[in-house]
Amino acid sequence: MAYYVNRRSEMTWWEKSYIPEIIKGMWLTSRRFFYNLFGFIPFFLGTEKDRRIMTVYYPEEQVQYPVAYRGRPVLAQNEDGHPACVACGLCEIACPAYCIHIEPGQNTGKQNQYERWPDVFNIDYAICIFCGNCEEACPEEAIFMSDDCEISMLDRKQMLYTKEQLLTPVADLQKRIEFTRNMYAKWNY
Amino acid sequence: MWVDLIITLVKISFILAITVGFFAPVLTWVERKQSALMQDRIGANRADIMGFTVLGLFHIIADALKMFTKEDFIPDGANKILHTVSPIIALVPALLTFAVIPFGGQYTLFDKEVNLVISDLDVGLLFVFAIASLATYGYVIAGWSSNNNWSLLGSMRTASQMISYEVTMGLTIIGVLMVYGSMKLTEIGAIQENFWMWGIFLQPVGFFMFLTASIAENKRIPFDAPEAESELVAGYFTEYSGLKFGMFFMAEFIEMVTIGAIMTILFLGAWHIPFLTTATLLSWFDFLGTTGSNLVVMLIHVGVFFAKVIFFIWLQMIIRWTLPRFRYDQIMRLGWKILLPLSLANILVTGLLILALN
Ligand code: SF4
Ligand code: SF4
Repeated sequence: MAYYVNRRSEMTWWEKSYIPEIIKGMWLTSRRFFYNLFGFIPFFLGTEKDRRIMTVYYPEEQVQYPVAYRGRPVLAQNEDGHPACVACGLCEIACPAYCIHIEPGQNTGKQNQYERWPDVFNIDYAICIFCGNCEEACPEEAIFMSDDCEISMLDRKQMLYTKEQLLTPVADLQKRIEFTRNMYAKWNY
Repeated sequence: MWVDLIITLVKISFILAITVGFFAPVLTWVERKQSALMQDRIGANRADIMGFTVLGLFHIIADALKMFTKEDFIPDGANKILHTVSPIIALVPALLTFAVIPFGGQYTLFDKEVNLVISDLDVGLLFVFAIASLATYGYVIAGWSSNNNWSLLGSMRTASQMISYEVTMGLTIIGVLMVYGSMKLTEIGAIQENFWMWGIFLQPVGFFMFLTASIAENKRIPFDAPEAESELVAGYFTEYSGLKFGMFFMAEFIEMVTIGAIMTILFLGAWHIPFLTTATLLSWFDFLGTTGSNLVVMLIHVGVFFAKVIFFIWLQMIIRWTLPRFRYDQIMRLGWKILLPLSLANILVTGLLILALN
Protein backbone atom coordinates (compact mmCIF):
# COMPACT_ATOMS: atom_id res chain seq x y z
CA MET A 1 0.00 0.00 0.00
CA ALA A 2 1.32 3.33 -0.95
CA TYR A 3 2.10 5.62 1.88
CA TYR A 4 1.26 9.28 1.54
CA VAL A 5 3.00 11.90 3.60
CA ASN A 6 0.55 14.31 5.09
CA ARG A 7 1.90 17.61 3.79
CA ARG A 8 -0.48 19.73 5.71
CA SER A 9 0.91 23.23 5.45
CA GLU A 10 -1.95 24.99 7.18
CA MET A 11 -1.49 25.02 10.93
CA THR A 12 -4.35 24.78 13.34
CA TRP A 13 -4.89 27.74 15.61
CA TRP A 14 -3.60 25.64 18.49
CA GLU A 15 -0.28 25.20 16.70
CA LYS A 16 -0.23 28.80 15.60
CA SER A 17 -0.51 30.07 19.14
CA TYR A 18 3.12 28.94 19.65
CA ILE A 19 3.13 28.55 23.39
CA PRO A 20 1.52 25.07 23.77
CA GLU A 21 3.74 23.62 21.06
CA ILE A 22 6.84 25.25 22.55
CA ILE A 23 5.96 23.86 25.97
CA LYS A 24 5.52 20.42 24.38
CA GLY A 25 8.99 20.63 22.90
CA MET A 26 10.47 21.84 26.14
CA TRP A 27 8.74 19.06 28.02
CA LEU A 28 10.42 16.55 25.73
CA THR A 29 13.90 18.03 26.05
CA SER A 30 13.70 18.58 29.79
CA ARG A 31 12.44 15.03 30.32
CA ARG A 32 15.46 13.82 28.40
CA PHE A 33 17.66 16.11 30.48
CA PHE A 34 16.50 14.77 33.84
CA TYR A 35 16.45 11.21 32.59
CA ASN A 36 20.10 11.42 31.56
CA LEU A 37 21.07 13.50 34.58
CA PHE A 38 19.91 10.86 37.03
CA GLY A 39 20.79 7.97 34.76
CA PHE A 40 24.48 8.86 34.73
CA ILE A 41 24.82 9.26 38.49
CA PRO A 42 25.44 5.54 39.21
CA PHE A 43 28.25 5.58 36.68
CA PHE A 44 30.05 8.39 38.52
CA LEU A 45 29.58 6.57 41.82
CA GLY A 46 31.45 3.68 40.26
CA THR A 47 28.54 1.29 39.95
CA GLU A 48 26.80 -0.04 36.89
CA LYS A 49 24.93 2.73 35.14
CA ASP A 50 21.37 2.55 33.91
CA ARG A 51 21.65 0.48 30.75
CA ARG A 52 18.65 2.20 29.20
CA ILE A 53 20.97 5.13 28.57
CA MET A 54 22.73 4.17 25.40
CA THR A 55 25.50 6.77 25.47
CA VAL A 56 28.86 5.13 26.13
CA TYR A 57 31.41 6.96 28.23
CA TYR A 58 33.90 6.07 25.58
CA PRO A 59 37.52 5.87 26.68
CA GLU A 60 36.55 4.85 30.21
CA GLU A 61 33.82 2.49 29.12
CA GLN A 62 34.08 0.26 26.06
CA VAL A 63 31.64 -1.89 24.22
CA GLN A 64 32.36 -5.45 23.11
CA TYR A 65 32.25 -5.53 19.34
CA PRO A 66 30.38 -8.39 17.66
CA VAL A 67 32.54 -11.07 16.11
CA ALA A 68 31.59 -9.97 12.59
CA TYR A 69 33.25 -6.61 13.24
CA ARG A 70 36.22 -5.91 10.96
CA GLY A 71 38.97 -4.13 12.86
CA ARG A 72 42.61 -4.08 11.84
CA PRO A 73 43.90 -7.26 10.14
CA VAL A 74 46.42 -9.24 12.18
CA LEU A 75 48.61 -12.28 11.53
CA ALA A 76 47.89 -15.51 13.35
CA GLN A 77 50.79 -16.92 15.38
CA ASN A 78 50.96 -20.65 16.05
CA GLU A 79 51.49 -22.05 19.54
CA ASP A 80 55.22 -22.50 18.85
CA GLY A 81 55.60 -18.82 18.02
CA HIS A 82 55.90 -19.26 14.28
CA PRO A 83 53.57 -17.35 11.93
CA ALA A 84 50.90 -19.49 10.28
CA CYS A 85 51.45 -17.54 7.08
CA VAL A 86 53.29 -19.33 4.22
CA ALA A 87 54.03 -16.14 2.27
CA CYS A 88 51.96 -17.25 -0.71
CA GLY A 89 51.10 -13.65 -1.52
CA LEU A 90 47.42 -14.23 -2.16
CA CYS A 91 46.39 -11.59 0.32
CA GLU A 92 48.81 -9.17 -1.30
CA ILE A 93 47.05 -9.74 -4.61
CA ALA A 94 43.56 -9.68 -3.13
CA CYS A 95 44.16 -6.42 -1.31
CA PRO A 96 42.35 -3.66 -3.20
CA ALA A 97 44.35 -0.97 -1.50
CA TYR A 98 47.80 -2.51 -2.07
CA CYS A 99 48.78 -2.02 1.51
CA ILE A 100 50.36 -5.43 2.18
CA HIS A 101 54.05 -5.98 1.51
CA ILE A 102 55.50 -9.50 1.80
CA GLU A 103 59.06 -10.76 1.40
CA PRO A 104 59.13 -14.55 1.72
CA GLY A 105 61.76 -16.64 3.46
CA GLN A 106 62.13 -20.41 3.03
CA ASN A 107 63.63 -23.54 4.47
CA THR A 108 66.95 -24.68 2.94
CA GLY A 109 66.48 -28.43 3.23
CA LYS A 110 65.98 -29.03 6.97
CA GLN A 111 63.57 -31.85 7.77
CA ASN A 112 60.38 -31.50 9.86
CA GLN A 113 60.44 -27.77 9.89
CA TYR A 114 58.33 -25.00 8.45
CA GLU A 115 58.91 -24.69 4.74
CA ARG A 116 57.98 -21.10 4.07
CA TRP A 117 57.34 -18.05 6.12
CA PRO A 118 57.32 -14.32 5.56
CA ASP A 119 60.59 -12.60 6.37
CA VAL A 120 58.90 -9.25 6.04
CA PHE A 121 55.17 -8.76 6.37
CA ASN A 122 54.02 -5.14 6.49
CA ILE A 123 50.52 -3.77 6.51
CA ASP A 124 50.12 -0.03 6.19
CA TYR A 125 47.01 0.81 8.21
CA ALA A 126 47.06 4.30 6.81
CA ILE A 127 46.07 2.78 3.46
CA CYS A 128 44.11 -0.30 4.55
CA ILE A 129 40.35 0.01 4.06
CA PHE A 130 39.40 -2.82 6.43
CA CYS A 131 37.62 -4.70 3.65
CA GLY A 132 38.57 -8.15 4.85
CA ASN A 133 39.60 -9.43 1.39
CA CYS A 134 42.95 -10.56 2.75
CA GLU A 135 41.23 -12.74 5.32
CA GLU A 136 39.01 -14.25 2.66
CA ALA A 137 41.88 -14.90 0.25
CA CYS A 138 44.16 -16.59 2.72
CA PRO A 139 44.35 -20.39 2.23
CA GLU A 140 46.21 -20.98 5.49
CA GLU A 141 43.98 -19.26 8.05
CA ALA A 142 46.84 -16.93 8.73
CA ILE A 143 45.39 -13.44 8.55
CA PHE A 144 42.30 -12.30 10.44
CA MET A 145 40.38 -9.15 11.15
CA SER A 146 40.66 -8.33 14.84
CA ASP A 147 38.26 -6.18 16.85
CA ASP A 148 40.85 -3.47 17.45
CA CYS A 149 40.02 -0.20 15.73
CA GLU A 150 42.03 2.22 17.89
CA ILE A 151 44.97 2.76 15.60
CA SER A 152 45.29 6.52 15.44
CA MET A 153 48.87 7.81 15.43
CA LEU A 154 50.53 11.20 15.47
CA ASP A 155 52.76 10.17 12.55
CA ARG A 156 51.85 8.37 9.36
CA LYS A 157 55.04 6.31 9.42
CA GLN A 158 53.94 4.68 12.65
CA MET A 159 50.89 3.31 10.89
CA LEU A 160 53.08 0.86 9.01
CA TYR A 161 52.91 -2.29 11.14
CA THR A 162 55.66 -4.88 10.76
CA LYS A 163 55.43 -8.65 11.22
CA GLU A 164 56.34 -8.50 14.91
CA GLN A 165 53.57 -6.01 15.62
CA LEU A 166 51.03 -7.96 13.58
CA LEU A 167 51.54 -11.37 15.11
CA THR A 168 48.74 -12.36 17.49
CA PRO A 169 48.48 -15.75 19.21
CA VAL A 170 45.90 -18.03 17.61
CA ALA A 171 44.23 -18.49 20.98
CA ASP A 172 43.14 -14.84 20.96
CA LEU A 173 41.60 -15.18 17.50
CA GLN A 174 39.63 -18.35 18.12
CA LYS A 175 36.21 -16.71 17.90
CA ARG A 176 36.96 -15.01 14.63
CA ILE A 177 38.43 -18.22 13.19
CA GLU A 178 35.22 -20.08 14.01
CA PHE A 179 33.23 -17.28 12.50
CA THR A 180 35.17 -17.22 9.21
CA ARG A 181 34.97 -21.01 8.90
CA ASN A 182 31.20 -20.82 9.20
CA MET A 183 30.89 -17.91 6.87
CA TYR A 184 33.12 -19.14 4.06
CA ALA A 185 31.82 -22.71 4.35
CA LYS A 186 28.45 -21.42 3.22
CA TRP A 187 29.95 -20.10 0.04
CA ASN A 188 31.32 -23.53 -0.82
CA TYR A 189 34.95 -22.78 -1.55
CA MET B 1 28.86 56.19 58.44
CA TRP B 2 31.81 53.82 58.27
CA VAL B 3 29.57 50.90 59.03
CA ASP B 4 27.27 51.81 56.14
CA LEU B 5 30.23 52.06 53.80
CA ILE B 6 31.51 48.67 54.85
CA ILE B 7 28.08 47.10 54.46
CA THR B 8 27.74 48.54 50.97
CA LEU B 9 31.21 47.35 50.03
CA VAL B 10 30.39 43.87 51.27
CA LYS B 11 27.21 43.83 49.20
CA ILE B 12 29.03 45.06 46.09
CA SER B 13 31.74 42.49 46.43
CA PHE B 14 29.16 39.77 47.03
CA ILE B 15 27.31 40.69 43.83
CA LEU B 16 30.54 40.92 41.84
CA ALA B 17 31.74 37.62 43.22
CA ILE B 18 28.52 35.83 42.45
CA THR B 19 28.08 37.21 38.92
CA VAL B 20 31.59 37.57 37.52
CA GLY B 21 33.19 35.04 39.79
CA PHE B 22 30.56 32.34 39.93
CA PHE B 23 27.73 32.60 37.40
CA ALA B 24 29.61 33.79 34.31
CA PRO B 25 32.28 31.08 34.31
CA VAL B 26 30.12 28.26 35.65
CA LEU B 27 27.37 28.98 33.14
CA THR B 28 29.75 28.33 30.24
CA TRP B 29 30.20 24.88 31.70
CA VAL B 30 26.51 24.42 32.49
CA GLU B 31 25.57 25.42 28.97
CA ARG B 32 27.70 22.67 27.47
CA LYS B 33 26.87 20.04 29.99
CA GLN B 34 23.14 20.69 29.94
CA SER B 35 22.92 20.64 26.17
CA ALA B 36 24.93 17.44 26.18
CA LEU B 37 22.55 15.76 28.58
CA MET B 38 19.56 16.92 26.60
CA GLN B 39 20.99 15.42 23.43
CA ASP B 40 22.15 12.13 24.96
CA ARG B 41 25.77 13.23 24.82
CA ILE B 42 28.28 13.46 27.63
CA GLY B 43 29.71 16.94 27.19
CA ALA B 44 33.00 18.53 28.12
CA ASN B 45 35.00 16.19 30.34
CA ARG B 46 38.54 16.06 28.97
CA ALA B 47 40.37 18.86 30.77
CA ASP B 48 42.04 17.38 33.81
CA ILE B 49 44.48 18.39 36.49
CA MET B 50 46.55 15.48 37.77
CA GLY B 51 43.98 13.03 36.47
CA PHE B 52 40.98 14.69 38.10
CA THR B 53 38.33 15.92 35.70
CA VAL B 54 35.54 16.88 38.16
CA LEU B 55 32.88 16.42 35.46
CA GLY B 56 34.79 18.75 33.16
CA LEU B 57 34.72 21.77 35.47
CA PHE B 58 38.36 22.48 34.65
CA HIS B 59 37.27 23.46 31.17
CA ILE B 60 36.42 26.81 32.74
CA ILE B 61 40.07 27.36 33.60
CA ALA B 62 41.19 26.05 30.22
CA ASP B 63 38.79 28.44 28.48
CA ALA B 64 39.93 31.40 30.54
CA LEU B 65 43.60 30.63 29.84
CA LYS B 66 42.86 30.25 26.16
CA MET B 67 41.02 33.57 26.11
CA PHE B 68 43.91 35.34 27.87
CA THR B 69 46.59 34.00 25.56
CA LYS B 70 44.82 34.58 22.24
CA GLU B 71 46.01 37.35 19.95
CA ASP B 72 44.06 40.56 20.41
CA PHE B 73 43.23 41.31 16.82
CA ILE B 74 42.01 44.59 15.35
CA PRO B 75 41.21 44.39 11.63
CA ASP B 76 42.61 46.83 9.06
CA GLY B 77 40.35 49.80 8.55
CA ALA B 78 38.56 49.29 11.83
CA ASN B 79 38.02 52.23 14.12
CA LYS B 80 40.54 51.30 16.80
CA ILE B 81 39.04 53.29 19.66
CA LEU B 82 35.44 52.23 19.12
CA HIS B 83 36.49 48.67 18.43
CA THR B 84 38.22 48.55 21.80
CA VAL B 85 35.55 50.41 23.74
CA SER B 86 32.46 48.56 22.55
CA PRO B 87 32.92 45.32 24.53
CA ILE B 88 33.18 47.46 27.65
CA ILE B 89 29.98 49.30 26.74
CA ALA B 90 28.31 45.91 26.32
CA LEU B 91 29.58 44.43 29.58
CA VAL B 92 29.25 47.30 32.04
CA PRO B 93 25.43 47.72 31.84
CA ALA B 94 24.97 44.03 32.46
CA LEU B 95 26.85 44.42 35.74
CA LEU B 96 25.40 47.82 36.61
CA THR B 97 21.80 46.63 36.71
CA PHE B 98 22.66 44.57 39.77
CA ALA B 99 23.08 47.83 41.70
CA VAL B 100 19.31 48.07 42.17
CA ILE B 101 18.36 44.40 42.23
CA PRO B 102 17.49 43.25 45.74
CA PHE B 103 18.64 39.74 46.58
CA GLY B 104 16.98 39.61 49.99
CA GLY B 105 14.71 41.58 52.29
CA GLN B 106 15.45 43.77 55.30
CA TYR B 107 17.07 42.28 58.38
CA THR B 108 18.15 43.57 61.77
CA LEU B 109 21.75 42.62 62.36
CA PHE B 110 23.48 43.95 65.49
CA ASP B 111 20.79 46.64 65.93
CA LYS B 112 21.35 47.79 62.39
CA GLU B 113 18.83 47.65 59.55
CA VAL B 114 20.47 45.85 56.64
CA ASN B 115 18.73 46.10 53.30
CA LEU B 116 20.01 43.53 50.85
CA VAL B 117 20.23 45.81 47.86
CA ILE B 118 23.20 47.97 46.91
CA SER B 119 21.15 51.04 46.12
CA ASP B 120 17.44 51.14 46.94
CA LEU B 121 16.33 53.54 44.21
CA ASP B 122 12.73 54.73 44.06
CA VAL B 123 12.78 54.26 40.30
CA GLY B 124 14.62 50.94 40.43
CA LEU B 125 12.71 49.32 37.62
CA LEU B 126 13.20 52.28 35.30
CA PHE B 127 16.88 52.35 36.17
CA VAL B 128 17.22 48.70 35.17
CA PHE B 129 15.67 49.34 31.78
CA ALA B 130 17.56 52.59 31.20
CA ILE B 131 20.88 50.91 31.90
CA ALA B 132 20.09 47.66 30.12
CA SER B 133 19.23 49.43 26.89
CA LEU B 134 22.62 51.16 26.97
CA ALA B 135 24.17 47.80 26.13
CA THR B 136 22.61 48.07 22.66
CA TYR B 137 25.15 50.77 21.86
CA GLY B 138 27.93 48.36 22.65
CA TYR B 139 26.63 45.81 20.18
CA VAL B 140 25.82 48.32 17.46
CA ILE B 141 29.17 50.08 17.73
CA ALA B 142 30.97 46.73 17.78
CA GLY B 143 29.55 45.75 14.42
CA TRP B 144 29.89 49.19 12.91
CA SER B 145 33.51 49.75 13.90
CA SER B 146 34.82 46.36 12.72
CA ASN B 147 34.81 47.21 9.02
CA ASN B 148 33.17 43.92 8.15
CA ASN B 149 29.95 43.33 6.25
CA TRP B 150 28.80 40.48 8.46
CA SER B 151 29.39 42.50 11.58
CA LEU B 152 27.48 45.45 10.19
CA LEU B 153 24.54 43.27 9.24
CA GLY B 154 24.63 41.71 12.68
CA SER B 155 24.62 45.04 14.46
CA MET B 156 21.81 46.34 12.28
CA ARG B 157 19.75 43.33 13.21
CA THR B 158 20.67 43.85 16.84
CA ALA B 159 19.49 47.44 16.73
CA SER B 160 16.13 46.63 15.16
CA GLN B 161 15.53 43.63 17.36
CA MET B 162 16.43 45.42 20.57
CA ILE B 163 14.19 48.39 19.74
CA SER B 164 11.26 46.14 18.81
CA TYR B 165 11.39 44.07 21.94
CA GLU B 166 12.19 46.91 24.30
CA VAL B 167 8.80 48.35 23.43
CA THR B 168 7.07 45.13 24.45
CA MET B 169 9.19 44.85 27.55
CA GLY B 170 8.37 48.39 28.63
CA LEU B 171 4.65 47.93 28.03
CA THR B 172 4.65 44.61 29.88
CA ILE B 173 6.12 46.06 33.03
CA ILE B 174 3.45 48.76 33.00
CA GLY B 175 1.00 45.98 33.87
CA VAL B 176 3.24 44.92 36.74
CA LEU B 177 3.51 48.51 37.95
CA MET B 178 -0.24 48.92 37.88
CA VAL B 179 -0.70 45.83 40.01
CA TYR B 180 1.96 46.60 42.60
CA GLY B 181 1.75 50.37 42.49
CA SER B 182 5.47 50.80 42.94
CA MET B 183 8.67 51.09 40.93
CA LYS B 184 10.83 50.20 43.91
CA LEU B 185 12.12 46.68 43.37
CA THR B 186 12.43 46.09 47.11
CA GLU B 187 8.79 47.07 47.60
CA ILE B 188 7.63 44.85 44.75
CA GLY B 189 9.55 42.03 46.35
CA ALA B 190 8.11 42.71 49.80
CA ILE B 191 4.51 42.70 48.53
CA GLN B 192 4.99 39.18 47.20
CA GLU B 193 5.33 37.75 50.68
CA ASN B 194 1.72 36.71 50.13
CA PHE B 195 1.82 33.71 47.79
CA TRP B 196 -1.29 34.78 45.84
CA MET B 197 0.28 38.16 45.13
CA TRP B 198 3.07 36.62 43.07
CA GLY B 199 3.38 38.28 39.69
CA ILE B 200 2.90 35.05 37.81
CA PHE B 201 -0.68 34.85 39.15
CA LEU B 202 -1.49 38.51 38.75
CA GLN B 203 0.12 38.91 35.33
CA PRO B 204 0.25 35.48 33.65
CA VAL B 205 0.24 36.88 30.12
CA GLY B 206 2.76 39.50 31.14
CA PHE B 207 5.02 36.76 32.46
CA PHE B 208 5.18 34.96 29.13
CA MET B 209 5.62 38.17 27.18
CA PHE B 210 8.34 39.39 29.48
CA LEU B 211 10.16 36.07 29.22
CA THR B 212 9.97 36.15 25.42
CA ALA B 213 11.03 39.78 25.19
CA SER B 214 13.91 39.36 27.58
CA ILE B 215 15.27 36.34 25.73
CA ALA B 216 15.04 38.42 22.57
CA GLU B 217 16.87 41.24 24.34
CA ASN B 218 19.63 38.86 25.28
CA LYS B 219 19.87 37.66 21.67
CA ARG B 220 19.85 33.99 22.54
CA ILE B 221 18.30 31.30 20.40
CA PRO B 222 15.48 31.39 19.17
CA PHE B 223 16.13 35.12 18.77
CA ASP B 224 19.80 34.99 17.85
CA ALA B 225 19.45 36.46 14.37
CA PRO B 226 22.06 39.17 15.22
CA GLU B 227 24.78 36.58 15.73
CA ALA B 228 23.37 33.73 13.62
CA GLU B 229 26.40 31.55 13.00
CA SER B 230 24.99 29.93 9.90
CA GLU B 231 24.08 33.24 8.28
CA LEU B 232 26.43 35.92 9.57
CA VAL B 233 29.54 34.02 10.73
CA ALA B 234 29.17 35.41 14.25
CA GLY B 235 27.30 38.65 13.71
CA TYR B 236 28.54 41.74 15.46
CA PHE B 237 31.50 40.07 17.19
CA THR B 238 32.91 38.37 14.10
CA GLU B 239 36.09 40.46 14.28
CA TYR B 240 36.67 40.06 17.99
CA SER B 241 39.15 37.73 19.57
CA GLY B 242 40.77 37.04 22.88
CA LEU B 243 39.62 38.91 25.93
CA LYS B 244 37.37 41.30 24.03
CA PHE B 245 35.42 38.38 22.65
CA GLY B 246 35.38 37.01 26.16
CA MET B 247 33.75 40.21 27.37
CA PHE B 248 30.89 39.84 24.89
CA PHE B 249 30.57 36.26 25.96
CA MET B 250 30.54 37.17 29.62
CA ALA B 251 28.04 39.98 28.99
CA GLU B 252 25.65 37.44 27.52
CA PHE B 253 25.91 35.11 30.48
CA ILE B 254 25.63 37.89 33.05
CA GLU B 255 22.60 39.20 31.21
CA MET B 256 21.06 35.77 31.62
CA VAL B 257 21.52 36.14 35.36
CA THR B 258 20.08 39.67 35.23
CA ILE B 259 17.02 38.46 33.38
CA GLY B 260 16.62 35.64 35.84
CA ALA B 261 16.87 38.06 38.77
CA ILE B 262 14.37 40.56 37.34
CA MET B 263 11.94 37.80 36.44
CA THR B 264 12.25 36.43 39.95
CA ILE B 265 11.55 39.78 41.54
CA LEU B 266 8.68 40.76 39.27
CA PHE B 267 6.94 37.43 38.79
CA LEU B 268 8.17 34.67 41.06
CA GLY B 269 7.94 36.07 44.54
CA ALA B 270 11.48 37.45 44.85
CA TRP B 271 13.15 35.94 47.92
CA HIS B 272 9.99 34.52 49.55
CA ILE B 273 9.12 30.89 50.10
CA PRO B 274 5.44 30.14 49.28
CA PHE B 275 3.14 30.30 52.33
CA LEU B 276 6.04 31.17 54.65
CA THR B 277 6.13 34.76 55.79
CA THR B 278 9.31 36.30 57.12
CA ALA B 279 7.70 36.62 60.57
CA THR B 280 7.02 32.87 60.75
CA LEU B 281 10.53 32.07 59.66
CA LEU B 282 11.92 34.48 62.27
CA SER B 283 9.81 32.89 65.00
CA TRP B 284 11.19 29.45 64.13
CA PHE B 285 14.73 30.60 64.82
CA ASP B 286 13.82 32.75 67.83
CA PHE B 287 16.10 30.78 70.14
CA LEU B 288 19.13 32.22 68.33
CA GLY B 289 18.41 35.79 69.47
CA THR B 290 17.54 38.70 67.21
CA THR B 291 20.79 38.81 65.29
CA GLY B 292 21.11 35.08 65.01
CA SER B 293 17.60 34.45 63.75
CA ASN B 294 17.83 37.37 61.34
CA LEU B 295 21.12 36.05 60.01
CA VAL B 296 19.68 32.58 59.42
CA VAL B 297 16.58 33.96 57.72
CA MET B 298 18.75 36.24 55.59
CA LEU B 299 20.83 33.29 54.42
CA ILE B 300 17.69 31.28 53.65
CA HIS B 301 16.21 34.15 51.66
CA VAL B 302 19.37 34.77 49.66
CA GLY B 303 19.53 31.05 48.96
CA VAL B 304 15.91 30.94 47.84
CA PHE B 305 16.40 33.98 45.64
CA PHE B 306 19.36 32.50 43.84
CA ALA B 307 17.65 29.13 43.56
CA LYS B 308 14.86 30.87 41.66
CA VAL B 309 17.39 32.72 39.52
CA ILE B 310 19.06 29.43 38.72
CA PHE B 311 15.68 27.99 37.78
CA PHE B 312 15.19 30.80 35.26
CA ILE B 313 18.66 30.30 33.86
CA TRP B 314 17.89 26.61 33.46
CA LEU B 315 14.65 27.54 31.70
CA GLN B 316 16.45 29.87 29.31
CA MET B 317 18.95 27.17 28.49
CA ILE B 318 16.23 24.59 27.88
CA ILE B 319 14.56 27.04 25.52
CA ARG B 320 17.85 27.74 23.80
CA TRP B 321 18.51 24.08 23.11
CA THR B 322 14.92 23.22 22.19
CA LEU B 323 13.86 25.76 19.61
CA PRO B 324 15.34 26.54 16.21
CA ARG B 325 16.18 30.12 15.24
CA PHE B 326 13.38 32.36 14.04
CA ARG B 327 13.78 33.93 10.65
CA TYR B 328 14.43 37.67 10.75
CA ASP B 329 10.99 38.63 9.43
CA GLN B 330 9.37 36.22 11.87
CA ILE B 331 11.14 37.95 14.73
CA MET B 332 9.85 41.30 13.58
CA ARG B 333 6.34 39.97 13.07
CA LEU B 334 6.28 38.37 16.50
CA GLY B 335 7.53 41.59 18.06
CA TRP B 336 5.32 44.15 16.35
CA LYS B 337 2.22 42.23 15.30
CA ILE B 338 1.73 39.83 18.17
CA LEU B 339 3.54 40.91 21.30
CA LEU B 340 2.90 44.64 20.99
CA PRO B 341 -0.91 44.38 20.62
CA LEU B 342 -0.97 41.68 23.28
CA SER B 343 0.92 43.85 25.73
CA LEU B 344 -1.41 46.78 25.05
CA ALA B 345 -4.41 44.51 25.59
CA ASN B 346 -2.77 43.27 28.77
CA ILE B 347 -2.56 46.82 30.11
CA LEU B 348 -6.20 47.43 29.20
CA VAL B 349 -7.47 44.25 30.84
CA THR B 350 -5.34 44.81 33.93
CA GLY B 351 -6.68 48.34 34.27
CA LEU B 352 -10.27 47.22 33.85
CA LEU B 353 -9.85 44.46 36.41
CA ILE B 354 -8.25 46.80 38.92
CA LEU B 355 -11.11 49.27 38.43
CA ALA B 356 -13.70 46.52 38.75
CA LEU B 357 -12.21 44.97 41.87
CA ASN B 358 -11.76 48.24 43.74
S1 SF4 C 1 41.58 -5.49 4.98
FE1 SF4 C 1 41.48 -5.12 2.79
S2 SF4 C 1 42.72 -3.30 2.50
FE2 SF4 C 1 43.20 -4.06 4.52
S3 SF4 C 1 44.99 -5.33 4.24
FE3 SF4 C 1 43.22 -6.67 4.08
S4 SF4 C 1 42.75 -6.75 1.91
FE4 SF4 C 1 44.08 -5.00 2.22
S1 SF4 D 1 48.58 -14.28 5.09
FE1 SF4 D 1 47.64 -15.98 4.05
S2 SF4 D 1 47.28 -15.21 1.99
FE2 SF4 D 1 48.70 -13.80 2.92
S3 SF4 D 1 50.69 -14.55 2.33
FE3 SF4 D 1 50.26 -15.46 4.29
S4 SF4 D 1 49.33 -17.40 3.82
FE4 SF4 D 1 49.28 -16.23 1.93
